[in-house]
Amino acid sequence: MSSPSNSHRPRKRRKELARSLTITDIVKLDPRDNAITPEFPLVAFLWPSRGTTSQWILLPLILMVVAIFRWSVGLWGYSGYQQPPMHGDLEAQRHWMEATTHLPAFQWYFYDLQYWGLDYPPLTAYHSWLCGKVGSLFRQDWFALDTSRGLEDPDLKVFMRATVIVSEYLVYIPALIIFLRHYSRAQGTGTTSTAIALVAILMQPATLLIDHGHFQYNTVMLGFVVATLSSLYAGRPLWSCLFFVAALGFKQMALYYSPIVFAYLLGSCLTPKVRLGRLLSIAAVTVLAFTVLFAPLLIGSVFDSYTTSDLPALPPPPFLAERQVRLDPNSPIEMVVLQISQVIHRMFPFARGLFEDKVANFWCFANTFYKLGKLQAFVDLPRLSAIFTLVSILGPTLIIAAVPKKALLPYALATSAWGFFLFSFQVHEKSVLLPLLPMTLLLGSKQGLSKEYRAWIGWANLVGVWTMFPLLKRDGLQTPYVVISLLWSYLLGLPPTSVDAYYDPDHENVPGRPLAPDDLRTPTKILHFQTYIVMAFWHLLAAFATPPDDKPDLWVVSNSCIGALCFGICYLWCFWKLLSESGLIDGYSGRSDAHEGSPVATDRLTADSEIKEK
Amino acid sequence: MVDQERPKPRAAREPGSDQWPSLLQTAVVATAFKILLFPAYKSTDFEVHRNWLAITHTLPVKRWYYEATSEWTLDYPPGFAVFEWLLSYPASLIDPAMVQIKNLNYDSWATVCFQRSSVILTELLLVYALHRYTKSSPPSTRRQSHAVALSILLSPGLLIIDHIHFQYNGFLYGVLVLSIVLARTESTLLYSGILFALLLCLKHIYLYLAPAYFVYLLRMYCLDPKNILRPQIVNVLKLGTIIIGIFGVAFGPFAAWGQLQQLRDRLFPFARGLCHAYWAPNVWAIYSFLDRILIFTAPYLWLHVDQNAVNSVTRGLVGDTSFAVLPEITARHCFGLTLAFQIVALTKLWLAPSWESFVGAITLCGYASFLFGWHVHEKAILLVIIPFSLLAAKDRSYLASFRPLAVAGHVSLFPLIFTAAEFPIKVAYTVSWLIIFLYTFDQLAPAPSRRRVFLLDRFALLYIVVSVPLMVYCSLLHRIVFGQKYEFLPLMFISTYSAVGVLGSWLGFMVCYLS
Repeated sequence: MSSPSNSHRPRKRRKELARSLTITDIVKLDPRDNAITPEFPLVAFLWPSRGTTSQWILLPLILMVVAIFRWSVGLWGYSGYQQPPMHGDLEAQRHWMEATTHLPAFQWYFYDLQYWGLDYPPLTAYHSWLCGKVGSLFRQDWFALDTSRGLEDPDLKVFMRATVIVSEYLVYIPALIIFLRHYSRAQGTGTTSTAIALVAILMQPATLLIDHGHFQYNTVMLGFVVATLSSLYAGRPLWSCLFFVAALGFKQMALYYSPIVFAYLLGSCLTPKVRLGRLLSIAAVTVLAFTVLFAPLLIGSVFDSYTTSDLPALPPPPFLAERQVRLDPNSPIEMVVLQISQVIHRMFPFARGLFEDKVANFWCFANTFYKLGKLQAFVDLPRLSAIFTLVSILGPTLIIAAVPKKALLPYALATSAWGFFLFSFQVHEKSVLLPLLPMTLLLGSKQGLSKEYRAWIGWANLVGVWTMFPLLKRDGLQTPYVVISLLWSYLLGLPPTSVDAYYDPDHENVPGRPLAPDDLRTPTKILHFQTYIVMAFWHLLAAFATPPDDKPDLWVVSNSCIGALCFGICYLWCFWKLLSESGLIDGYSGRSDAHEGSPVATDRLTADSEIKEK
Repeated sequence: MVDQERPKPRAAREPGSDQWPSLLQTAVVATAFKILLFPAYKSTDFEVHRNWLAITHTLPVKRWYYEATSEWTLDYPPGFAVFEWLLSYPASLIDPAMVQIKNLNYDSWATVCFQRSSVILTELLLVYALHRYTKSSPPSTRRQSHAVALSILLSPGLLIIDHIHFQYNGFLYGVLVLSIVLARTESTLLYSGILFALLLCLKHIYLYLAPAYFVYLLRMYCLDPKNILRPQIVNVLKLGTIIIGIFGVAFGPFAAWGQLQQLRDRLFPFARGLCHAYWAPNVWAIYSFLDRILIFTAPYLWLHVDQNAVNSVTRGLVGDTSFAVLPEITARHCFGLTLAFQIVALTKLWLAPSWESFVGAITLCGYASFLFGWHVHEKAILLVIIPFSLLAAKDRSYLASFRPLAVAGHVSLFPLIFTAAEFPIKVAYTVSWLIIFLYTFDQLAPAPSRRRVFLLDRFALLYIVVSVPLMVYCSLLHRIVFGQKYEFLPLMFISTYSAVGVLGSWLGFMVCYLS
């Protein structure tokens, strides 16, 4: 393919820069005096480290610096601080540490469910148990049964923050580093670009603020997902099953990714040729992993049912009680069934509404304009939501099953997670972290730091963290929100701090000019700029204007509606990228995809051949 | 490619603009981090400065140095009082309760935000000074200067003292660095002197560095640099008038009101003891440590042990220490030793005046007064670290003596911040800084032009490594082993350890400077 725009880009002709093809995304070269300018500030920070600096120095430094930022966000407020009687997520986690360390296993999922009953799968329970045991070494009263409820000791806060950061550094960060190593090798990303992507992913504002500010352990689950992805890249599907079960076992939200993981594994067993052994071993390992996941809880419960003479009443979960199923805790088999059904009941609260609070998804958006309660009379809303979700994830699932290529995984995972986030049942605003993760991982791909990807990924992340502002405000995290979001956008050279990703001063924006390969097209620019302006304006309104009396939630609702629209576009973008990268439509629409994905690749090929010529 | 087609290289770039990350970029990221530290632990110095805001805002100047409602009376020179007075106007707009003298220990969120952001904003002067510093350095050393500028901007000392503990050192060191930079060219020597005089009116601790300024300005500005015997009368008059003018404006009103005696008592509280409650890592810390050890060995050596001192020793933390075995030290001894060692450095400056030996002399004046001074605070180590940083990447022999100082100086600041929440920040930040800048300086520093003297270089590495188990013991193991008992032990170990490092680096620097 001839690409006339190449002649305008002398920077690609540099011989010295040919070490890595992605280098042109991160530096500008002045043709007059060969001076190099970093494209965005994060490049400048990692620029001195290129070449000679050993990874053994660079990596610990990056990890220490991001840890400092995490910890300093942790100095601020957390969810539920001084809000009796229920407090918030920190109290919930602390309560689980208290409950799991003091109660026998069979009571974990039954004990006083009104006060933060455990509603995550067993791995969270084990994690809480471990943290509780370690914490009790420092101070017994932090986790004393019942009496420690609502405790707000500053040292306890330090301990809880430390458990988050330690869990993250044990799971998420090693997984991410190993993943990026595989990913950059597969994609041909340079070392410096990979380091930049690593910092950008680790400083993702939404994840950082929710885990270290609001207080949750999302990075543990996300870490297992990244480990899954990493194993898939390394060609170890059995390990990936293990890690994915761990992710599911930590937070059921990992289900957002499950269709893709399933379809990819299935597809890789069927194409290029059917490999039955592989399929069977994958199935066996998955079953085994689930067994191992539940084993401590079940063995513990059965053991307790033997040793404890008079077990307290363990009411079966409602969906069994409705069907008149009686389970006797004293019989081992029935104890097992009871425990598993209770865990499932606790994990999927179908009894709650379609969505909670205000969340930037389709249902909340639709509800603003048409009260969904009215629809309840005609259709079963949960069923409707299930159908919508299925339709939205069908596309990516089919594509990944048909073309099980590793390079497509982040796109497919992001698309599927966006589908779940937008259409599924009982979504929390924090669940936006799930689609954001694979989308942000794309920064490590070969075109990840190009203007196009940077602009889109940055936009999704900044909108994502913006939709969580009402939540963060309740926790007193406005300042960290502003600081961390602006810092991230500054580091990546994105609005509101810079418009460099949208505008190239060397490349005048005259009509009829051929597009550079990573140039954004005008509708995208309009869309992004408009969103940034709307977000800034919304902040002004929310800060200084009082909403009308009859609509006290106006700001929050408008936040979620705008967010839902943007996330819908993110879904479409990921889907489109997935489709164009999969090569399925190459035959049909050569023209349209020439502007999107492949020119980058062809451009790189020409750059490559030029280098070879020299 | 055809050469003729290439456009001419652009006119000289803005100096330092080809160094990445730039000062501005670093300052942005550092500021983001400092804002996140708003809710961090703050020491009584926060209340000290709030009280000064209140005093200067509500009282007439006459009563500034007499007000004593709070125990934290105004004990900085008038320049700093004026600085607080200027700050008190926006402060009174933001939270009027902040500037009430009666509101002791008032720390509303608005107050915290205001005071903390005033530290961040006034620190911009340091950024400007460092920018001037890189701009003024010759192109051959620009990379080193840029690294040095970044190291000062990100200094863990400033972070711990200013942004956690709470003080305004960033601003004050901004004035100092600017004054040092102005001394680099002959045409701005006068301004350098003026700025230093202003600095003295802001905080009198910089008097320690005054001898170097005195000698340098006398030699380079007041006398003909080429001929010592030909004074430059015009210059003497200019400098003299302006400096007398500055001190006249600052202290004149108080002299007119007959308050100079009161000012002296406030500014120089000689009633305090030799060592601060927590020993600053200087010669006297080693001296006290030896004294402690001698208490146990004295019976075998037939030495006399003063029982009063032994009792005060076990209390450890409380106020002044007196010595049980070793002879008592008086303020006169301290003064004599400080001056003696300063004169050594000043002689060299007088004989071979140059900007670099001027910076060296400033550093050595800081060293001498820190190591031998009376009632030195651990925070004063910045008086040594910051001027020394300007020379640290000059060549490898300077770097060799900078390394132990960088470790010891910052480790000695750790006990300032003792809360659990800030512990990871101070440690991770300092360790990152040490790795980044010691590594960068190591890459950038050229081999020395003269013969290299290897002095204790091997021990320096061992010394740095020892800091790790020391920190583990002091912050973790001690509490596990002894609980609340012997609380002075970790502090004693840290100051003695740091004192050894500071002393060693001083010896190394002396060798570099004098050879």
